[in-house]
Amino acid sequence: MTQLERTFDYEATLAACARGERPALQSLYQQEAARLLGVLLRLVREPALAEDLLHDAFLRIWTGASSFDPARGSARGWVYSVARHLALNHLRNRHREIQGAGVEELLGVEEAGVALGEGIDVTLHAARIHLCLDQLPPARRACIVHAYVDGFSHAEIAHKLGAPLGTVKAWVKRSLAALRECMG
Amino acid sequence: MNDGPDNDAQDELDALAAEYVLGTLAAGLRTEVEHRLPHDAALREAVDAWEERLQPLTELTSPHAPSAALWPRIEHSVDELHTRPASVPSTPWWDWLGLWRGLAAAGLAATLVLGTLLLGRDAPAPSYLVVLVAPQDKSPGWVIQASDQQTIQLIPLGVAEVPEDKALQFWTKGADWQGPVSLGLVKPGQTLKVPLDRLPPLESDQLFELTLEGRSGSPTGKPTGPIQFIGRAVKVI
Repeated sequence: MTQLERTFDYEATLAACARGERPALQSLYQQEAARLLGVLLRLVREPALAEDLLHDAFLRIWTGASSFDPARGSARGWVYSVARHLALNHLRNRHREIQGAGVEELLGVEEAGVALGEGIDVTLHAARIHLCLDQLPPARRACIVHAYVDGFSHAEIAHKLGAPLGTVKAWVKRSLAALRECMG
Repeated sequence: MNDGPDNDAQDELDALAAEYVLGTLAAGLRTEVEHRLPHDAALREAVDAWEERLQPLTELTSPHAPSAALWPRIEHSVDELHTRPASVPSTPWWDWLGLWRGLAAAGLAATLVLGTLLLGRDAPAPSYLVVLVAPQDKSPGWVIQASDQQTIQLIPLGVAEVPEDKALQFWTKGADWQGPVSLGLVKPGQTLKVPLDRLPPLESDQLFELTLEGRSGSPTGKPTGPIQFIGRAVKVI
């Protein structure tokens, strides 16, 4: 987390949105729009669609701010989960539509990604998740990152890693169990 | 080993929450989780914990500046949210009596479809039937069949036309509910099975409708787009 993120009061901003204060929504936009768009773009890979989703996410933040409960987690985390789940719903619904079209078409674009386990910025290792990910075998670590960051389905991960679908499903399940064990 | 049935159930719940947050759940299960979340505190707690665990992974992506037009577009949509009640009939559609008078013709269609559905049934459980019709010409587009009170099937009678960048969203509202509840996105021409176990039991006159929304569904959690099909539940003996 950067200094800027530490000093921005996400919780107060959501509370102001819940009271209908428009400048609060704008300040959240100025603070997070670029990073949120980065997350969405990596998930859906189409700039216009990613902007549509960011638009929808900000509307949902505006109308849903009053339902945010600080006891359930961080305000910044809530904002990201609103945006991510909009994108994931889109991806999974689309996947259902094009079943049978073959995952190859979906994977036409090579991600401008992080080399797994190598290029990750050292500061990120401060986060416990990275320490725990590092304890997983590389293929299993890749499953988690491709799913969370790239929005890949089991089938897409299997295709990407050249592993059988059943194996990938088991890797995902076991990696999540291991992460839970490691992170508490 | 002290893994009792309770631990197994807890592990299963946690695994479901984990894959929901990770993103690997298929569309049907995702919808199911989203329906359960408002009512299922244990699931919600598990999902919240996974959101917190995995959220630092969002830092693996590079920021991307939005186009200059995006913020004005968001502002415009927020304005629309606030002005809409004044620009359309002041009662929400579910209280719109004029529409219901016009829908009487749908009763005939319901009778016809009902006759067909009941043929060949030897154990008729109490059930509900809904015919969803287009508001303009009252032509029937979908039938909802509920053979028990926990699951309904939305069955297409044809293939509805949906623009490329839009989706049909399925909603229901009981007489005493505050507003409609989403039952998920619908693919034209495909039967959709919806578990209702997190909603109150079906009731006579319960309202169902399909609205046209953006491709990931309504951004507000309530219907925002035009009604494509609409109907009320009729109890069938």
